Amino acid sequence: MGVAALVMLGRYASSPADFGRRHVLILAVNVTAAAALLALMIVNLFHLVRAYRRRAPGARLRARLVGMFVGLTLAPLLVVYFFALQFVNGGIDSWFDSDLEQELSSALRLSRESLDVQATSHLLQTTALAAALGNLDGDALSRALSVLRADAGAEELTVFNPDLRVASSSSGTETLPPSLSEDALKNLGHNQRFVALEPQGNARYQIRTAVVMPGDVPEAGQRYLQAVFPIGDRQGRLADAVQDTYTRYAELRFLRGPLKDNLTVTLSLVLLLSLLSAATGAFYLARRLAAPIESLAAGTEAVAKGDFDTRLPPGAADEVGLLIESFNGMIERLGRAREESRSSQQQLERERANLATILGRLSTGVIAIGADSRIRIANDAAGAILGVDLAARAGAALEEIAELGPLPGQFVDACRPHIAGELREWRGQIVLRTDGARRILNCATSSLPGDGSGAADPGAGDFHAGAIIVFDDVTELLVAQREAAWGEVARRLAHEIKNPLTPIRLAAERIRRRYLPTMAEEDGQILDRSTHTIVQQVEAMRDMVNAFSEYARAPAVTVARVDLSQLVREVAWLYRAQEGQPLVKLALEDGLEIEADAVRVRQLLHNLIRNAQEALEGQSEGVIDIAARSIVDGERTFAEISVRDNGPGIDPEVLARLFEPYVTSKNKGTGLGLAIVKKLVEEHGGTVAAENLPNHGASLVVRLPVRAVIRDAVNESRMTLAENWRERA
Amino acid sequence: MQKNNSRHPGPRAAFVAAFVALFGMLFAGVLHAQETGLEIRNASTRLDAGVWYLSARIDYRLNRDTLDALQNGIPLTFELQVELAKVRNWLPDEDVASLRQYYELSWQPLSRGYLVRNKNSGDQRAHSTLFAALNDLGRITDLPLIDAALIDENTDYVVSLRAVLDQQQLPGLLRMLAFWDDDFTLESEWYRWNLRTGQPP
Repeated sequence: MGVAALVMLGRYASSPADFGRRHVLILAVNVTAAAALLALMIVNLFHLVRAYRRRAPGARLRARLVGMFVGLTLAPLLVVYFFALQFVNGGIDSWFDSDLEQELSSALRLSRESLDVQATSHLLQTTALAAALGNLDGDALSRALSVLRADAGAEELTVFNPDLRVASSSSGTETLPPSLSEDALKNLGHNQRFVALEPQGNARYQIRTAVVMPGDVPEAGQRYLQAVFPIGDRQGRLADAVQDTYTRYAELRFLRGPLKDNLTVTLSLVLLLSLLSAATGAFYLARRLAAPIESLAAGTEAVAKGDFDTRLPPGAADEVGLLIESFNGMIERLGRAREESRSSQQQLERERANLATILGRLSTGVIAIGADSRIRIANDAAGAILGVDLAARAGAALEEIAELGPLPGQFVDACRPHIAGELREWRGQIVLRTDGARRILNCATSSLPGDGSGAADPGAGDFHAGAIIVFDDVTELLVAQREAAWGEVARRLAHEIKNPLTPIRLAAERIRRRYLPTMAEEDGQILDRSTHTIVQQVEAMRDMVNAFSEYARAPAVTVARVDLSQLVREVAWLYRAQEGQPLVKLALEDGLEIEADAVRVRQLLHNLIRNAQEALEGQSEGVIDIAARSIVDGERTFAEISVRDNGPGIDPEVLARLFEPYVTSKNKGTGLGLAIVKKLVEEHGGTVAAENLPNHGASLVVRLPVRAVIRDAVNESRMTLAENWRERA
Repeated sequence: MQKNNSRHPGPRAAFVAAFVALFGMLFAGVLHAQETGLEIRNASTRLDAGVWYLSARIDYRLNRDTLDALQNGIPLTFELQVELAKVRNWLPDEDVASLRQYYELSWQPLSRGYLVRNKNSGDQRAHSTLFAALNDLGRITDLPLIDAALIDENTDYVVSLRAVLDQQQLPGLLRMLAFWDDDFTLESEWYRWNLRTGQPP
């Protein structure tokens, strides 16, 4: 539309007549085109500004291109516009040369004066004719008119009566009845004469004259003679040409202003249309040029967001097209690499999950430490052994772990030299002490191979990516082994010692029976004491051997529902307070039943109470508090039996190994009482613990599960530890 | 001590002066509008020998722009528009006949006079003054309107007459100027009168 408007402007601007005839259409087309282009430009500009503010890809480039194009177009257009205006105005003004105007006026004046001479001549001629006609009337007047008209060369001679009616007329052509014009009458009334040059059309002119006829007919009033004289064709054409040229010049001069305005408007419209077209074209070109770059930017953004399925449409066969092709190739390769990476990642995740599952099911503690001495991985078993939830503290530094308690502290202190040292492999045993108890850990550390990335401490002199610590709590295993060894010793001692005891006793008794009666009294007394001592010691040794046997023996367990409160009450009754014996106080929960071997529980209670009695031996006002109650620990319900005494308490050095055989702080006893207690408790799946009371005295607490979990604790412990060692190997 | 009796015009006086000035401008505008333009003074029809003739007196008062154009050699064409419509009850009037007469008024530099030419018939009359030319232009005498046989008898008709300056006959550039400039828009109001046809003779 803009181009059509420009073409119309160019075509009609050169022809003012056509322009004037179609100027409304031209203006409408141009204004519509300008409005459409302006609207298009505003819409484009709006979109561009919005994209610019939104920082859309390519918006800045488009804005720059549009500004550049418009700037490049505007400057020359404005220069051409102002020069064209100057040229047009100057050119139009130059058309109206004062000399030309003067010459045209002179030519017109010359023609006019030439015709005036003729007119004056014809006026004089008319005056003469009027005098010649005198007082003629009627037919004489008609004949005279005809003759005189022919003589004078007039085209028409008419005599008007005072009432302006035609008195007589002679004409060379057939025309309408002649009449006196208002002008003629006015001039005749004023000047007594009238002369006028009248155009006839087709470059023909005539001179009309009228005079008052001098008459001697007073009663008839004044008559008028009107004559019409033709002007020669040649003179008429020349005069008409001069008049026509002058008129056209005057018209052009008059239209000079509108012509300038018209051309100015035309040029302005051309400028406006050109500018708007250029701006619209600039938007189009900028969009076209920036489109591949915007597409590239959008594709890059999509790739940055992880969309590797983006493919850009192929561009033209130029550098940008090549760039798009390279981009598509790169995206394809990136997509493949990402897929491979994702697959590897998934594989790694699966491996990691498997490792985590394996680590989680291990009873062996595993801790992986990074080069920065921070925990990377720690399984549940590691936390359980050290009493700290290490799995939840992944990422914590070893120093932070060491501050969590005495066990982790000792563990870290024991392991740190082997982690930071140059040894790649280390195996050993760590003994941790807490609350009088000992925890023995079999521990192995191993440096993880580094990738040489320099993550390790440069001062270490060797790059490694950290270390892994594998450790196992072998305390129970060692105890079990020791107990098993003691059981074997006891069994052999019982077997080896018990057998000769009976012959020794029999021999001693035989010596006594045979020689005592025959010996002197003094010798007899010696023999009697000696044999008595032998028998007594043999009996003592038998008791000891029996105790050994009892410790080593593991009779079948018979489980039944046992009223624990009643059982405690029965056993405690046997130790009811007697003279010199400690007072036994009971605090029992009624109806406390467990599933257990009643014989073993009874023996357990005996040993506990006897242990307390022995602890209070020689102490006045000794009190033994026995309590039994049910407690819930986690999901299991236990029966808890606590036996407290107000004795001197347990030697702290003994406390850690209290339940081992032959560990005692008392002068009496075999040292097997509490070892048997522990064995019985473990056979029932329970636990036993000893502690010194704050003021004085000691407390032994036994927990037996309410629901029977009878097992051979020692054997099971052995098996579990053996399995662990196998797994670790 | 001499007393100063001179008074400054107050706001009321200024308001009155402004009102008077505004009124004067409006009045001058009205006068100007009345001074220029086309106006039909009277018009009539008469039946003569089976033909209806129209006679009218029209005032042609040229404004400065049109007068400038005329005296710079641009001929002015005036169009006489005549409409004959049959009056109908409850319905719009029915157009029966339409007549257009064109008269050209031009300045003749050679004779220093004005020429009035009937563009329909080709008749022309020269006048030495503009007044005489406009007077001639405004005098319509016995212009044949319609043959009586072409219209119904005993029927009411309405004759409408209007004179306008035909801008289409102006030079192209001036026509463009006339599109924007009202000074080249000269037209009279429609002048209407009734025409009652009688019984056939």
